[in-house]
Amino acid sequence: MSFDRPRELLKPVKRRFIYLTFAIAILVELIPLPAGSTRWLPDLIGLLLLYWVINQPRRINIGSAFLLGLIADVATAGLFGQHALAYSVTSYLALMQQRQLVMFNLGQQALAVLGLMLANQAIMVVARMITGAAFVGWSYFLPPLIAALLWPLLTKLLLLPYRQHSV
Amino acid sequence: MDFANNPSFFHQGPRPGVRLALCVLLSVALLIGDSRFSLMEHLREGLSVVLYPLQRAVNVPFAGARHVIDFFTAQAELKAENDALKNQRLQMSAQLLRLATVEREYRELRQLNDIKSSRAEGGQLAEVLYTGRDPFSYKLIIDKGEDAHIRPGQPVIDSQGLIGQVTRVQPLTAEVTLIIDKNHMVPVMIERTGARAILYGYGGGVEVRYLSNQADVHQQDLLVTSGIDDLYPAGLPVARVGKVERNTGAAFARLATSPMAGVQQSRFVLVLNQKQHVPARPATADAKQNATE
Repeated sequence: MSFDRPRELLKPVKRRFIYLTFAIAILVELIPLPAGSTRWLPDLIGLLLLYWVINQPRRINIGSAFLLGLIADVATAGLFGQHALAYSVTSYLALMQQRQLVMFNLGQQALAVLGLMLANQAIMVVARMITGAAFVGWSYFLPPLIAALLWPLLTKLLLLPYRQHSV
Repeated sequence: MDFANNPSFFHQGPRPGVRLALCVLLSVALLIGDSRFSLMEHLREGLSVVLYPLQRAVNVPFAGARHVIDFFTAQAELKAENDALKNQRLQMSAQLLRLATVEREYRELRQLNDIKSSRAEGGQLAEVLYTGRDPFSYKLIIDKGEDAHIRPGQPVIDSQGLIGQVTRVQPLTAEVTLIIDKNHMVPVMIERTGARAILYGYGGGVEVRYLSNQADVHQQDLLVTSGIDDLYPAGLPVARVGKVERNTGAAFARLATSPMAGVQQSRFVLVLNQKQHVPARPATADAKQNATE
């Protein structure tokens, strides 16, 4: 986790690649998994969204976050608008701090992502509770922890195709 | 050119704050619309239709894998299940057979009990231990003997009618001579008319001998004990007339009869007590009875 990661010279990111990663994330969300795995599985769409908001703020911003949130709402059969709201707010927060976040090393970024993902869950919990659902318990905040742990891996993985020497 | 570390100083389009406000407004509107007024059902349905092929596509490999696994496990599982079911069926049929036997015994006992309580002289229930080994005589061994105060001469019945008579008593068992035994005779009467006759066993069956050709007897007539001779209580069903053969050349009618009781089938029998207070038999009783026949 050295400071030189952001200074690494990378090839330009193609728009197609971004869409592809989102498509994969949505597909993963749709995989029929055994009941109970949703308690610890991180929200991949949200994590990926944060990644692109932090690294490609000019292409992926609040509008895309909102649209992705709508798709996530349908995919997870949640309340319409809960993911949209949460993603919009967190991507705004990320966007505000984007210039610092890019300079952080992976560990610091992971911490920031943890906070953002927790905010995500918190917004959704509040939205659901205001619309009349019961509190689901503190285990609802476990997936952000796992998402933050996955952050370095995700970053390495998504940078892989754009390293100069990988050509 | 766009780099991952490219600081973007220029934002295109509306400012982030405005965008956020717009999106939040929209989201909240959607949330309220969905939760309070269920306005979004159509939109949700439309989107789910769009997502459906994706869901199917994602499901395909998993379903396929499950199919393959199923295919390989099914064989062994089915075999095991089949074996278990076969085993179970065997056990069940054995149980069923036992149940049928038990039910039959229970019915027999019930009927015997009814008879026992309905007859004034009373009796003792006994179980048939085994049938005599001698093929020339028809005898039963029952599990009551001197210990139960059984005495020779007591009639033995089952739920359908007369079976025979106790002829020998051992300390714990007793021997019953069946009515179908050769040399065994029962004084009977035709229930319909009251005409008296003697029922002879001939070794394997019973027949009425010495009934005159003109006697009023039909098929299906019931023969019951007449009570004469004080040995058998009156009115016990003994046999039913099967066929009446009147031969003009012969002096007597030939009657094919079959015993009423399950002579060789019953498992439980009732040993009737003999009547008490029987007046002393007159000296000429035998001669008189012979005359009536």
